[in-house]
Amino acid sequence: MKKKTFSPWVAAGVLLITLFAVLCLLPLIYMVAVSFTDSESLYIKVSDLRPSLYNYWYAIVKRDFGTALKNSVITVVGSCLLVDIVASMAAYGFEKKPIPGKETLFQGYLATMMIPGQVVLIPMFVMINRAGLTNTYAALILPMVGAFGIFLMRQFMVAVPNELLEAAEMDGCGEARRFVTIVLPLVQPALITLTIFTFNAAWNNFLWPLIINTRSEMRVLPVTMSTLSSNSTTNYGMVMAGATLTFLFPFVLYIFLQKQFVEGIALGGVKG
Amino acid sequence: MTAAVRVKRKTSLRTRRQIFIGILYILPSFVLMMTFNVIPIFLSAFYSFTKYNMAAPPEWIGLENYARLFSNRVLTESLSNTVQYVLITVPAQTVLSLLIAVFIAEHMKGRYGSLMRSVIFIPVIVSLIASATVWNIMYQPKGGLINQLLEFFGAQPVNFLGKKASALPSVAVVAIWKSTGYYMVIYYAGVMNVPSDVREAAIVDGATPVQRFFHITLPILRPITYMIVTLGIIGSFQVFDLVYKMTGGGPGRSTYTVAYVIYTFAFQDKNYGYASAVAICLLIVILLIHLIQTLLFKEKDA
Repeated sequence: MKKKTFSPWVAAGVLLITLFAVLCLLPLIYMVAVSFTDSESLYIKVSDLRPSLYNYWYAIVKRDFGTALKNSVITVVGSCLLVDIVASMAAYGFEKKPIPGKETLFQGYLATMMIPGQVVLIPMFVMINRAGLTNTYAALILPMVGAFGIFLMRQFMVAVPNELLEAAEMDGCGEARRFVTIVLPLVQPALITLTIFTFNAAWNNFLWPLIINTRSEMRVLPVTMSTLSSNSTTNYGMVMAGATLTFLFPFVLYIFLQKQFVEGIALGGVKG
Repeated sequence: MTAAVRVKRKTSLRTRRQIFIGILYILPSFVLMMTFNVIPIFLSAFYSFTKYNMAAPPEWIGLENYARLFSNRVLTESLSNTVQYVLITVPAQTVLSLLIAVFIAEHMKGRYGSLMRSVIFIPVIVSLIASATVWNIMYQPKGGLINQLLEFFGAQPVNFLGKKASALPSVAVVAIWKSTGYYMVIYYAGVMNVPSDVREAAIVDGATPVQRFFHITLPILRPITYMIVTLGIIGSFQVFDLVYKMTGGGPGRSTYTVAYVIYTFAFQDKNYGYASAVAICLLIVILLIHLIQTLLFKEKDA
């Protein structure tokens, strides 16, 4: 049954896919390799490779990557917490509470996913300016709540059994305690997925932080990254060290939570 | 009687309490969604009819911004560039991700296939700015990785980002590199959802792999294709980070995209009303595309 006949077509396909995978990795291998060289030109020989962290030290200390790293971490942690809390609360309300007109409101939420970010950008910029929130973490964190997270969490709220919630209520378990001790643990896989999504969105967010947090001590990683020019007079090793630093955190997360990464995307895709 | 009435009042009181609690659960999301996702749409529409630089209150000028937009070439040029960019990225990433997903699902079910899926996904997690930086260096005319390869094979080096003809496609390549893995994951999940007896029946019927692909796999994956094309068009229409970092709209205006134009009008020229008019045009174009697409797909389904 399991025996396969050898087909040259299948062999060619496997080869092509392998080639594509190599092309996917090549720019990243190149990035890491250049970050460990101290060559002025790009004609890098193997002998130029140094196992030295000098480029990283230079990027972090001299080019403000340390500050940017700190700002990015604070923004990401704040965004994940806010989105997780707000989205799971909203999803629970939509799925389990008898609010009149809730489906219409939910459809309205979903419709906002069609709106391009640039359409809301200018009014958001004006509002945050008027509120005096430019160059704050709040300016980066508050707009991270979106319809996608609420949609994702609601998919999982459906599976929380009503009987369980009713039984807990009979036992005198209060509203808030039911939500925290029964509902949240049951939707934990969705929370992990949502956290990964929010992490990536906040970590890679560029245009909004670029315009709203202009003071150099409030810049996040992609913005600091963008200030390093990549023309011929640049220290390529340091630029690539910066890029590697930016890539490192999501990559480590991906290594450990690969299943959740992929399942989350597939879920959002197949069901949406 | 009185007992029944009392019970009814009790339940309605309970329901009302539940409604109140429910509203409290939804309230934080409502406030944030309204502030950052809904009200700004209307404000954008309002600003687009005004002259506004934030120093003074918006001054109503009617359709002047739109008239100015349609009388100069910036909007049409940037729209044309954006459409070209969409026409390169969306078909390429859709077809590539489909073929890879279907092939891995059918012929590479083992460890190696899963390794390939993991590797092809990695570019998805690289930020656009880091991607742009790395590819910028790879595209360098003097000694960039790609040109070193070209020189190695005896070809002349190409100034990929410096030539009008090649700049936009070169940016598109980065987008395709970055997003194929994302769509592959969605397609792969879709293929795995195809009931295996459907495929086995086709094999028994003697359908060739190509026939199976076009007559079974592709029709089953239609809703996913619809979604991937929609996501792809919306995403590509908003391309900003890559253009900002890789070309700055140049050379000339050959990589001016709609999103980039909005950015320069608003945050470099401080012309928020004029930029809002471009943003509203972008919104209308995206809604139109969505409408056409929905109509096309609905018709075929009927």
